[in-house]
Amino acid sequence: MTVALAVEQVTKRFGGLVSISDLSIEVSPQEIVSVIGPNGAGKTTLFNIITGVYRPDSGRILVEGNDVTGLAPSTIATKGVARTFQNVRLFHNLTVIDNVMAAMYGRTHAGLVASALGLPRARREEARVREDAKELLSFFGSRLMGYRWEQPAYSLSYANRRRLEIARAMATGATILLLDEPAAGMNPKETHEITEVVARLRGERGHTIVIIEHDMHVVEGVSDRVVALDHGVKIAEGNYAAVATDPHVVESYLGRGTAGTK
Amino acid sequence: MAEESLAIGTDEWVAAHEGRTSGQVQGPVARTFGRLPWWVWGSIAVLVAVVLPLIGSTYLMRVGVNLGLFLMLALGLNLVVGYAGLLDIGYVAFYGLGAYGFAMLASDKFGVHLPTVVAVPVVVAAVSIFGLVLGLAARRLLGDYLAIVTLFFGQMFVEFALSGDAITVPGRAEQVDLTGGTNGITDVDRFSFLGVEFSSDRWYYYLLVVLVVLLALAVRRLDGSRIGRAWKAVGQDPLAAEAMTMPVNRLKIMAFVVGAGIAGLAGTVFAAVQRGVFPSSFDLPLLILLYAAVILGGSGSLKGALIGAALLSLLPEALREPSYSEMVFVLLLVAGLALAVRSWRDRIIVVVATVVFGFVMNLLFTLLHVQGVPASAWTSGPVSTLLGHWLFVPQDRVLWGNLGFVGLVVLLAVLTLVGTRVRPILLPAIVWLSIFVWFVRLADVPSITRQLLIGALLIVLMIVRPQGLFGRRQVEVL
Amino acid sequence: MELFVQQLVNGLTLGGVYALIALGYTLIYGVLQLLNFAHGEVYMVGAFTGFFVMVGLGGPGKPIVPVWLMIVAMFLAAMVVSGLLGVGIERFAYRPLRESTRIAPLISALGVSLFLQNAVLLLFGSRVRSYDTPRYWSGAGPQVAGVQVNPVRILVLVLAIILMVGLTRLVEKTAFGRGMRAVAYDRDAAVMMGIDVNKVIVLVFFVASALAGAAGVMVGLVFFNVNNYMGFLAGLKGFTAAVVGGIGSIPGAMLGGLLIGLIESFTTAYVSANFASVLSFLVLILVMLLKPRGLLGTRAIVKV
Repeated sequence: MTVALAVEQVTKRFGGLVSISDLSIEVSPQEIVSVIGPNGAGKTTLFNIITGVYRPDSGRILVEGNDVTGLAPSTIATKGVARTFQNVRLFHNLTVIDNVMAAMYGRTHAGLVASALGLPRARREEARVREDAKELLSFFGSRLMGYRWEQPAYSLSYANRRRLEIARAMATGATILLLDEPAAGMNPKETHEITEVVARLRGERGHTIVIIEHDMHVVEGVSDRVVALDHGVKIAEGNYAAVATDPHVVESYLGRGTAGTK
Repeated sequence: MAEESLAIGTDEWVAAHEGRTSGQVQGPVARTFGRLPWWVWGSIAVLVAVVLPLIGSTYLMRVGVNLGLFLMLALGLNLVVGYAGLLDIGYVAFYGLGAYGFAMLASDKFGVHLPTVVAVPVVVAAVSIFGLVLGLAARRLLGDYLAIVTLFFGQMFVEFALSGDAITVPGRAEQVDLTGGTNGITDVDRFSFLGVEFSSDRWYYYLLVVLVVLLALAVRRLDGSRIGRAWKAVGQDPLAAEAMTMPVNRLKIMAFVVGAGIAGLAGTVFAAVQRGVFPSSFDLPLLILLYAAVILGGSGSLKGALIGAALLSLLPEALREPSYSEMVFVLLLVAGLALAVRSWRDRIIVVVATVVFGFVMNLLFTLLHVQGVPASAWTSGPVSTLLGHWLFVPQDRVLWGNLGFVGLVVLLAVLTLVGTRVRPILLPAIVWLSIFVWFVRLADVPSITRQLLIGALLIVLMIVRPQGLFGRRQVEVL
Repeated sequence: MELFVQQLVNGLTLGGVYALIALGYTLIYGVLQLLNFAHGEVYMVGAFTGFFVMVGLGGPGKPIVPVWLMIVAMFLAAMVVSGLLGVGIERFAYRPLRESTRIAPLISALGVSLFLQNAVLLLFGSRVRSYDTPRYWSGAGPQVAGVQVNPVRILVLVLAIILMVGLTRLVEKTAFGRGMRAVAYDRDAAVMMGIDVNKVIVLVFFVASALAGAAGVMVGLVFFNVNNYMGFLAGLKGFTAAVVGGIGSIPGAMLGGLLIGLIESFTTAYVSANFASVLSFLVLILVMLLKPRGLLGTRAIVKV
């Protein structure tokens, strides 16, 4: 198996606007691919299509060779694709550890009756899940440990919310993580930390990662490969150095006519 | 390392913010209840509930049965609204379906007398299926739209119960009577298990104690379980929950069905203990009372749902007897005043000013030649006797009471608009006017007063403390 | 044929009234995304105001002013009182909750509804009061397709149309209408563009509630009876109409109102009065399942 995630000739329109046009991307296992492009290029729409929030007008999404096009988002997540959100969508009123445990829904089994009666089976699972969650949160060093477990998510600082969102995505058991601007709104130190976290996600946990990012330092620091989008079309693909200097990419960011003068 | 601790510091400050802001009203309540573990309070409550019948009267048993039913309903609604965040305004209809279902299967209405052990499970299953169907129909609807559909469902149920006594069936000459219309269904069988008939309220009371305890324990278990957590996640952000492997529609429908089943079960008990069912028992006022209970206690909180339901279900009992109701009223007034006015000096000033204001109003009434009622004719308890020499009660109590009521509403509205400097000046007038309106008018019409209070409570609660007495502060980021 | 024409006129009249109520729901939902459960009670207060103005002007027996003047006074008073009530409700029950959770104003609205219902019960009692229209106005109505039609119904229908046209012009042509549409589209952006959002919201509540007040008088004139519980069911119908048409859409509310009115009056005449509400409920469910945003509502894209 050489392809973890494949986007095959996907097109998505909203009314008359073509948001994604005949786009194909392949991601190998344990690869880190960055998707860049100006605002409105269709990056987040791509994530929404992969995770099943939107249904593509044409084309297919394959996860480890299986067609997942048109499945419910929860099913796709259970099949191994989890994401974070550009604007951080935690379960703000749940505690930190509950956020992580909630995301383990798809790989646990206790039913309504077992839960309500507190059957031994359900309790064992609950204890195991709690241990898993703690272990997972320790991935972020001391940031999300100890007294923070029992605090509501809304009380976290902005950077910690982003970290918790990554932890929550990991908790689903997915191998493929889609990170939507994980460094947005962070200070340089925190940005550097996130870069390391992304590298460790692959190094220590073996995740395959697709990342949308505007911060070129992050892109440069983590990517095996960079895909540049503009108006829903792939305009460049390759290693960071090649894409960053590609005239189409420079043009799409800075506008026509400036590419030659630079 | 210095930077590390600084980062934690910011976090701690944010986390502690809740503690700082909630110190005022909630502080004492939360502290008293928080000191002992939950099972101590639970055991005390159960013990009281078990011992009560030994000293209680028939009337007390009746109150206890009503309270038990109300607690069951509140626990069920709390799962649907408080956990899964589904605004189900047709909830009471499931209660009604349970009651009517049992009445149809165990009465002379159709000559069917199924044994309790058969009838109750059948009815609960049927009501759950109703919940499933409605849940399926409404599964894709967002919050507001779900509210509309369920509101209609509730209304349709009442309408069906009311006009179900004359249904025209194609191909049959005479009309079919299913529900008995406004007369409902009477002579419903009592519960009986293993040959033992539940012959008095006391039996049902104990049955309800058992049911409520079991239900509360189950809800407690659910709270920290896979399903309960998923419900809470779905209630807060369905889209994120879906992306995190939770099948949102299935979970929503599950909550809906469980809520319906609990209401249906409560309905069967209601039918058996009342020995009859009538459409008016399942109308909007009960629904609003239930919502008020769940929200007063703090939606999503087990403790809150139980205490809120207990408070609101006992409220009508407190209002029934004038001599009780005036005591409850004055106590609440004093408590409210103590909370509103912070320093002892100001409290004394307000009390003195109120007393003086009352005498001035007496003088005014006399100067206007308004006919008064002698104190002996309207006092009904210790509090009113105490007030007898001070409060002027006009002969035309309806007119003056209504005028006072309108004035009071206007004054309260003005109070929220003016700055803190003017408030102390308005306060004595408001206190006097509320006492006046209560004794002249409101105490005489307990059922209207109750509804007015619940309506006002809902508005004020939403503004002052939307999370209720025991709920956690909820934030919506989006 | 005669029955059909009668029912058509009845349905249109009823539909006009529902449309006016539905417009209120839609306007308020448009700017605040709030289901104003208390709207039915505002309508009820309008009906009561009209009644008391009528009594104040001499009652149905012998009005002290010309009948047309009395009716004009009833409408104006009801619209002003209802409008002010709506503004008051917004100020005291909704505005403090504007930044609160989604569910809070809904609960508050339930509270307002309960409070108003019982306040009216306390002040005026549970006695049903009658407009008794035939005693002061019973002219021969116009002929429609050879059938004699009740003049009161024609008056109500014409008035409803005038109000709806007026509202449409208000929303499309005036600065207030522009402000309203801007607030409905994006409240935060509207603030930044210098629009006084509070003023717009207050005006929307006034207009919406005044329409409900007018609807209250219309129902009084046509069906005579008013009581403190009348708001709930009418509110529910208006609400259905708004949702069927597409909540937030003004033409949708009008269409929905007419549709529900016609369905009700024809079901009552040809099937059974008991089925009228059930059928409008079924229509609601059907529309919600097939077009969840209503007949004329626009489809929203989930933003992630």
